[in-house]
Amino acid sequence: MRWGLLVVPPLLLTVTLLSGSLFIFLSSSLHEDLGLGLLKEEYSLYNFRQILDYPSYLEGFFLTLRLSFYVCVCTLIITWPLSYILSRLPPKLSMLLVGLVLASTFISLPIKALGLIILFGTDSFAMEFLRITGLVDEDFRFVGSLFGVAVGYTHLAIGFMVMMMFSVMQAIPKSLEEAARIHGASWGRTLLRVILPLSLPGTISATLMLFNLLTGAFVSATLLGGGKILTLPVMIQQSIILFNEYGIAAALAALLLVTVFALNLLSVFAASRLTPTTKVIA
Amino acid sequence: MTAASSRNSASRRNAKPLLGAAFWRRLRAMIAWFWLSLVLLFIYAPILVVASASVDPGEYIMNRAFLQFPPKGFTLHWYFNISPSMWLTVFNSLILAACVSAASVLLGVPAALGIMRGSFAGRNFISSVFRFPLQIPFIVVGVAFLQGSYVLAAATGINLTTTLTGLFFAHLLVGIPYVVGATGSTLAQLSPRYDEAALTLGASRWRVFRRVTFPLILPGIFGGALFAFLVSFTDVTIALFLTPQGYETFPVRVFNSIQNDLESSLPAAATIVFVISAAAILILQRVAGMETILRSSGSKK
Repeated sequence: MRWGLLVVPPLLLTVTLLSGSLFIFLSSSLHEDLGLGLLKEEYSLYNFRQILDYPSYLEGFFLTLRLSFYVCVCTLIITWPLSYILSRLPPKLSMLLVGLVLASTFISLPIKALGLIILFGTDSFAMEFLRITGLVDEDFRFVGSLFGVAVGYTHLAIGFMVMMMFSVMQAIPKSLEEAARIHGASWGRTLLRVILPLSLPGTISATLMLFNLLTGAFVSATLLGGGKILTLPVMIQQSIILFNEYGIAAALAALLLVTVFALNLLSVFAASRLTPTTKVIA
Repeated sequence: MTAASSRNSASRRNAKPLLGAAFWRRLRAMIAWFWLSLVLLFIYAPILVVASASVDPGEYIMNRAFLQFPPKGFTLHWYFNISPSMWLTVFNSLILAACVSAASVLLGVPAALGIMRGSFAGRNFISSVFRFPLQIPFIVVGVAFLQGSYVLAAATGINLTTTLTGLFFAHLLVGIPYVVGATGSTLAQLSPRYDEAALTLGASRWRVFRRVTFPLILPGIFGGALFAFLVSFTDVTIALFLTPQGYETFPVRVFNSIQNDLESSLPAAATIVFVISAAAILILQRVAGMETILRSSGSKK
């Protein structure tokens, strides 16, 4: 039997869907946008020049990168120890807890956003707490603030990161830690000199993937940003829904795609350059 | 230098520490549990708040439901007053996700078998083609499909965005990679000895697949199917561009409702939907096992 032939139909469908939609869409970025959903016939780089000329587009681009970066750092601080703890629990218990984390990633994002909006309502005790501790001032509103969007992003990020990092941590055998302890290394030293270096390659590639995911995040930025936090995905949606500017939207999408692909290449490069955990142990 | 350091460590061993090793171990365990529960509380806070708001008697401010936490009372009123149109969106979402999941399996499993079992050049390249759709941000997929369907409608008269067909194909594009990934990784871990043994014992090729290979990769298929289902069931970003009037999916309804009128029965409906997806994951964990599910998530967006 020829197994190879089985690949043909799904491959054809995937490639048709991909190239059909993406090609049509991205090619409209090369036609001047005339507004009202109309595009000029001839090819030009007009839309890309628009993006460079209007500071708001570039500001949005850098805002997207900055926001993703902050959230990556926060998520790492939260999930690195968490994944280590989870990987060192008894197998049954750790599977249950990882399952709990996994289940939370399947709550639809607008529902999570709704929960956050209620939790941080103007008169809620969460806001009261933030005000009393002096972290925010009297007229601070959660919806429409960068803080709000960052909290929404972090919810999206934690589940993803735990799933990636858990397998990284699990791949580090416990025996290495025990060996280090028996030879007199303190607990902190073991963590710093054994666990940290061994988990580093996996952590780096997971973080790059997370950054990638966050640059394309749309729902949290829209609902918690309240139309004020204009990240790249939000601008793409607005140029289509509000302004009917397909050319500009396509050019912005091209910018987003290039960023994402560059990060992907970087993460593939990082994964191949840094020695994977399993190889060190073998 | 060696002598000095050994003397040093000897003196350290002799000096009685103020707090024993047992104390530090217990303290570390306590901090670990504290961290764990804090993070779990953080990630479940939104859905807990939504669930508690669903039993709040509620009030309206300027035609918009005023939802609050903690709730000011207890009522199951909203659970019995979810509008028929809201139920319709839940129904739409379930049907769509089931179709996407089934079609992803029908296309993804043969693809995984072909890649893992076939012997042709460029298998690595082809498997990366299947992973590729997950690298594209969902917003770009949504907008691209919207424009693609316009062009198709202009050229052939077939309009995919008057029903959920367009959305089905868009979700299929991101559903297949999960099934290919999950089935492929299960196949990769499968020892070829089983097949060889069955063949040696005289089973036909088809019988080997039917009775040996297929049952062994079934958990992987289930894992991939679950991911394809849940990606379709929870997606807003793609669906926002491809849902025509009257065909809204549930997440899109929630999204629009938050931005516009905020219905009071929204938390109740959201809680019910959360229970449905939690049940799906729980059942699958029993059927396929957590390891398979985790492995399936490896290729997650």
